[in-house]
Amino acid sequence: MNPLADTNLTDALTGSISLVVPEMAMLALACLLFVFGMFVRNQKANTLLALVGLIGTAVIAGLMYDSERDAFAVMVQNGAERLAPIWPGPLASFVRWLAIAVGILLVLTSTKEATTGIASEYYACLVVIVAGVSLVARANDLVSLYLALEMISIPTYVLLYLPAQGKAGQEAAAKYFLLSVLSSAVMLLGFSYLYGLAGTTNLSAMNAALTAANAVAVSPLAALGIVLAVAGLCFRITAVPFHYYAPDVYQGAPTGVVAQLAVMPKIAGFIALVRILGMTHAPMTELPFPTATQVPLMLWVIAAATMTLGNAMALLQDNLKRIIAYSGIAHAGYMLLGLLTVTAYAPMELKLTAASVNGLDAILFYLVAYAIMTIGMIAVIAYMSSEDRPIETVDDLAGAGQTNRFAAVLLTVSLLSMIGFPFVAGFWGKFLLFFGLYDAPTISGMGTMYRVLAVVAAVNAAIGAVYYLRIIGVIYLRSPLRENAPAKGLGPLSAAILCTIATLVIGFFPQALTDLSKAVSATPGKVAKSVVPQR
Amino acid sequence: MQLNNLLVYLLLAVLFAPLLVALAVRWCSPKAARAVAVYGSVLHLLITASLVVLNTGYIGFDKHSNHSFEPQCVPGDTGVAGIEGTNTNRTSWNLLTLAPPNAAFDFRSAPPAIQFFIGLDGLSIVMVALTSLMFFFAVLVSWSSITDRAGSYYAWLFVLQTAVIGAFVSFDIVLFYLFFELTLVPVFFLIGFWGVGGARRDAARKFFLYTLFGSLFTLVGIIGVVLANPMPLNPDSGKPMYNAPTQEATNPMNPLGPHRMPKPGPITFSIPQLIKNAYMWDTAHDESLKSANERVNVAGKNVVAERQKELDDVRTAVATRRTMIAWLFFALMAGLAVKIPIVPFHTWLPSAYSEAPLPVTMLLTAVLAKLGTYGILRIVIPIVPEAAVVYGLPVMGTLGAIGIVYAAFCAYAQRDLKLLAAYSSVSHLGFLVIGLFAMNREALSGSVLHMVNHGLSAGAMFALLVFLSQRYRTLDATQYGGLWGKYPRYTFFTIVICLAGVGMPGLNNFVSEMLMLAGLFDTRNLKLVGYSLAVVSAVGILLSSWYIFTMLRRVFFGPLQEPARVEAVTVPPGDIGGRELVPIAFMAALCLALGLYPQPILDVIQTDVSRVSQLANLARLRLDPKAENPADAVEDERQSKVTPTDAPAPRLPGFGAGPRGPVAPAR
Repeated sequence: MNPLADTNLTDALTGSISLVVPEMAMLALACLLFVFGMFVRNQKANTLLALVGLIGTAVIAGLMYDSERDAFAVMVQNGAERLAPIWPGPLASFVRWLAIAVGILLVLTSTKEATTGIASEYYACLVVIVAGVSLVARANDLVSLYLALEMISIPTYVLLYLPAQGKAGQEAAAKYFLLSVLSSAVMLLGFSYLYGLAGTTNLSAMNAALTAANAVAVSPLAALGIVLAVAGLCFRITAVPFHYYAPDVYQGAPTGVVAQLAVMPKIAGFIALVRILGMTHAPMTELPFPTATQVPLMLWVIAAATMTLGNAMALLQDNLKRIIAYSGIAHAGYMLLGLLTVTAYAPMELKLTAASVNGLDAILFYLVAYAIMTIGMIAVIAYMSSEDRPIETVDDLAGAGQTNRFAAVLLTVSLLSMIGFPFVAGFWGKFLLFFGLYDAPTISGMGTMYRVLAVVAAVNAAIGAVYYLRIIGVIYLRSPLRENAPAKGLGPLSAAILCTIATLVIGFFPQALTDLSKAVSATPGKVAKSVVPQR
Repeated sequence: MQLNNLLVYLLLAVLFAPLLVALAVRWCSPKAARAVAVYGSVLHLLITASLVVLNTGYIGFDKHSNHSFEPQCVPGDTGVAGIEGTNTNRTSWNLLTLAPPNAAFDFRSAPPAIQFFIGLDGLSIVMVALTSLMFFFAVLVSWSSITDRAGSYYAWLFVLQTAVIGAFVSFDIVLFYLFFELTLVPVFFLIGFWGVGGARRDAARKFFLYTLFGSLFTLVGIIGVVLANPMPLNPDSGKPMYNAPTQEATNPMNPLGPHRMPKPGPITFSIPQLIKNAYMWDTAHDESLKSANERVNVAGKNVVAERQKELDDVRTAVATRRTMIAWLFFALMAGLAVKIPIVPFHTWLPSAYSEAPLPVTMLLTAVLAKLGTYGILRIVIPIVPEAAVVYGLPVMGTLGAIGIVYAAFCAYAQRDLKLLAAYSSVSHLGFLVIGLFAMNREALSGSVLHMVNHGLSAGAMFALLVFLSQRYRTLDATQYGGLWGKYPRYTFFTIVICLAGVGMPGLNNFVSEMLMLAGLFDTRNLKLVGYSLAVVSAVGILLSSWYIFTMLRRVFFGPLQEPARVEAVTVPPGDIGGRELVPIAFMAALCLALGLYPQPILDVIQTDVSRVSQLANLARLRLDPKAENPADAVEDERQSKVTPTDAPAPRLPGFGAGPRGPVAPAR
């Protein structure tokens, strides 16, 4: 049939526009910021515009929520999944809200660094990144997915260059640019294999085709394509062995950009991984890759290596941004446990269903917890450092518990959350990840390897505590090295306060976020299945 | 107001009042802070006392054993408000529900949720009373020794109190872990800020990291036991199956068919529920093994090969479960062993104890070490009893025995009185671990009693050292001599406490140590490790008197020798008296009282101790049905087949009268 005469296809294409209205609003906001900044260089005005604009997009997203949900129901009914380039499922809404919230926190965190000359460009780039992250979760097409991912990368190059002071900053920008382009190329190569095999760029159609093919025989080419795509995405989530850039880039980058780099690409990368590996829309028992051992084993090795290396290297660091980089690597390793859990339920012939934690919900929970604790930590550092007294190494924080009590408390809460201490968000994140992994059925190909990895993760969590506790110890138990310099910056402080409150609220009342991530990660196909646990 | 409601409020007050006091004390001036702290801890002691007094009426009231703990005064109980006897001993306060969306199973009776499940039973009430008492003493002892940032100091002390009490009253396994971990932060700051030595920061960090490292394994172990012991469901009806496993497991269509295992149902985090589930699963595995053996024996020639294969399958399943349980046992023990500490995991202890301020050291040994032993009693033995039987005495008991001797020699070698007391404490805790894993009624009662006694006598030991350290700023034993002449009253109390520590008859430790020794001579334990553990424990008592009396001779006898007095001391120069005397005299009096009349504590704990020992006895019988068993174990076996869970229960009086429970007809 002539594709132009296929009304379903044309409907799917034209109907997509109404599903990305908030994202378009964000891009409009970015354009407005670029233009506005040419006339009004005032930093405060630009900040206000960015904040109000982001809140405005949140309002638009709220207004569009019902119509999107109806459109989604219609799309599900029409079976438009294999045509639509944009798929506005519950996961997409979740990520959109998360991206906007993180975007607001990042704008607040950056207010000290986005100085008068660069404020408008700085915020405009941030807003584009927010739109990109949101689009990653809606993309249902290799092309739109790639575009969304590049919407995160390209503004990041600009962000790294904008306040580039000195050699370190330029090295960071150049390094990130080159490696990011390389990783995109690798990912595209993988995408091309997948397209070549499936004959379509639509992710759902591709997953369906690959799943059907995989049920018959394992295709080495499909495995190659998946491996290349995963490799490209592993760069974004800083998984070993694609993590080498992170410490150097973070060290050279401005503090606000570090917060962005540590959070946004991780959210986008994990969501993209989940999409490429086909873990969201199809029932989990139908994944488009060999689920007996190959892909789980790959994820097992990556996860174990990522958390172990991240934690071990963080032990040796003195520079705070390098610690953040390595701790981010370690946390990516923990989150990979969730992906591994999902694969445990994949083997088709076993028809298993997760009884309580399916892995994806744990990842979503942890992404939120990780975002707020990382931004909380970096915002406090941004708040406490000043031109003449930058906070760069752990020693610069010495005695902060005496000189700057309130900020020290905020920082400590974030650090405890990173340790995974009771009654803060990080604990429940780790608990859900460990619980899901331990609960993974042992009758699939990996056997007890999941449980072994849970023990490895526990050891890693203990190693991680060493360097976080070292920072807490320096803050409280050492006397200040220099005289007290007053900390300034309402933006970073308010970001830190918001993050701390969120960390504590989730720590004491984890139910709401857990329910949300469970509801979001449950696809229609899965919910319809039996929920009585099977082991 | 109904008594139970009152008790619930009192329990919540006992748990959370310290947090309020901490908030209040945080903003006080140093002088006011200590007064507020004393009043706060007195108030807490009063609340605890009223809770204990009112609750003792409840302890006897006890529906049925049902192979688990039955916590009383549970906040959030769904029982009909104000009507006695409708309490379900469960809570409805969920922290985190893990039910899948659109769950088909009716979770009302047992939600797969981490709950805010606190309550009191005989074991926890004793520990709460000890905690409240020891924190009161610690606050008194801190009065003049802590002057720097006193407000924050007392605030952290009270936060620590909430965390410790929370762990003691938790009946949710994850909630226990949360409170268990929460103790780390206050102790970290207490050692790091107010420590006495130059290495206090390292000591604080070491304490935090060692304990966290161990307890993360415990977390994995907790996840493991939760997932290994879901609610057993009847394979036909899908209803919870807590009744006689043999009857329900029979297939009505095929009564002579193979034994059927229950279906795994929803998971649970409640400790009483987990214990029941674990008991049901262990029993079901055991029954299926028995039935498969039986079926092989009665099989005709044509089916014998098939039956043999069936038996092999069942054996594999049982072996798999026992292997897993063994791993879980060691995972659970990891964190507890570090906390107690059992000897190879004790390396954080010397630095933490010697760097911490004396009141905090006192709490570390008197209360925090008990978190570990309490965890063994509350979680490890009841939930993984089979592994506790197989590995408890041979592995943990041996480590405990090594600890007794090793720590005793370390204590002898110490010149620092504080380290001497620290190692002596480790030595006694090794004894406590052995007593716990002897797992019969005598040894378990002795162990719980010893938790209290050791808390009192070891705590008093550190409290006594405050006297010297405040006057001379040194605890080096070689610089002291002949103090008796100068401080007769102080010497008297020191000798009383030391005699209590070495187990002098008439003082408290004698009773508990004798009970534990008696328990070690259980014939079933002897089969495992011979007399050696009992002998080592007895030698440990001897060794402790050796180093204690050496110390006493050196410090208190002979010609007077004292280090230079520190000029800027805030305490009066004379003998012990006034405010310093109160905690010491109080603890010494308690040591004497418990030595002469320990029965009240034994009465309070007897029900729960019998429950634990019954679970252990049943596990022993499952592992080795032919073993020669003492009378009480046989009695347990006879009563082990409980009738349906909702049957009204007779009230059985007396200690040693067997578990409380409806007695089913013997098979």
